[in-house]
Amino acid sequence: MKEKRWFPVMYMFVITAIVSTAVIGFSQYTRERVQANMERTFEIAVLKVLPGMFEPDLSFVELHKKFQQEIDKPTDKTAGAYTLRKNGTIEAYALPIEGQGFWAKIKAVIGIEADKKTITGIVIYEQTETPGLGAEVAKKEFTDQFENLKMSAQDKPIAFRRAGEELQDGQVHAVTGATQTSTRLEKIINDNLIQWLEKVEN
Amino acid sequence: MTNRQIKQLAYEGLWKNNPIFVQVLGICSTLAVTNLVLNTIVMCAALVFTVSLSALTVSILRDFTPRNIRMMIETLIIAFYVIIIDVILKAYWPQMSENLGPYVGLIITNCIVMGRCEACAISNPPARAMLDAIFNALGYSFILLIIATFREVLGMGTFLGFGVPYFSGQYWDKWTIMVMPPGAFFVLAIVVWTFRTVQMSQEDKKK
Repeated sequence: MKEKRWFPVMYMFVITAIVSTAVIGFSQYTRERVQANMERTFEIAVLKVLPGMFEPDLSFVELHKKFQQEIDKPTDKTAGAYTLRKNGTIEAYALPIEGQGFWAKIKAVIGIEADKKTITGIVIYEQTETPGLGAEVAKKEFTDQFENLKMSAQDKPIAFRRAGEELQDGQVHAVTGATQTSTRLEKIINDNLIQWLEKVEN
Repeated sequence: MTNRQIKQLAYEGLWKNNPIFVQVLGICSTLAVTNLVLNTIVMCAALVFTVSLSALTVSILRDFTPRNIRMMIETLIIAFYVIIIDVILKAYWPQMSENLGPYVGLIITNCIVMGRCEACAISNPPARAMLDAIFNALGYSFILLIIATFREVLGMGTFLGFGVPYFSGQYWDKWTIMVMPPGAFFVLAIVVWTFRTVQMSQEDKKK
């Protein structure tokens, strides 16, 4: 029977069907948990970009409570950004952004001061860039550059420069050797910021 | 299987044909995940799981699998087990999933897994195939743990996250290079060198 031409095709088909069914079933079973973990990662990212909100000693449950209590959900007025308020006035925005990276989607949260001119921080919480090169953008060494970064007054709020070059307003040093990721991340941040600045209510 | 055969398999996998210092397979993950002992333990556990169950499945199916598509089937089976591990980590241990990053998924391309399927499982009964795979994975694991221990103690002054006397104190200037990728090359080379030297001198004595 093995000599028949259709046998390998059928065999491959049957094995693939069995294996994929098992994988699908298993990932369905764990979907809720994975979902909850992802929400938690997002909430922590929001807390991290807002000034003075993240405390590394708190447990996940406490951080979740803090997020629930102190962060206001996005409204039409904030154009999709989460807000931190004191006595009703907005202190800072946390804007979720996403876009196509080199391999897959990059998702991040950007913190913006109430005057909408200064970035308070960025956390890239989901990315699958090349390990050791593009993936370095998610590391502290790179993202720390966004803390208290004044946006440029020109048409593009931020710009990536080569390592070693002198920096002006809105400029950060790109990760060396990560040309594709840098180009795309720069575009993601700028596109999202420009769009948001147009929509958000003053 | 007799006791002697099992001992022979253990000797082959752990020592004589050790995947790291004799066959030099799976080096990518060896270099990547050995900066912390905990990461290494999880990685090794994942590898033992994948190699043994893939070998078992391949061996069970060996009489039905047409020879010309055997590699496709093997890859499919390996990928299946790796995805299961990846999903488990994502659901129940997201922190570790993040630490290991893409390297869990890359177990699929770890040459040890495919190597054991091709060299042993495809032509041997299930029990033998699985034992052979487990001993090879353990041979990989103990070398990785040695490397990780040196890297973490010298580079961070800790072991499994706990401070080690002297090394975590102020008199020890931490070798940061050890937890960075180049450190892995140094330690791996020294470990391979040491083990090969011991092995060779044993072989010389036998003659």
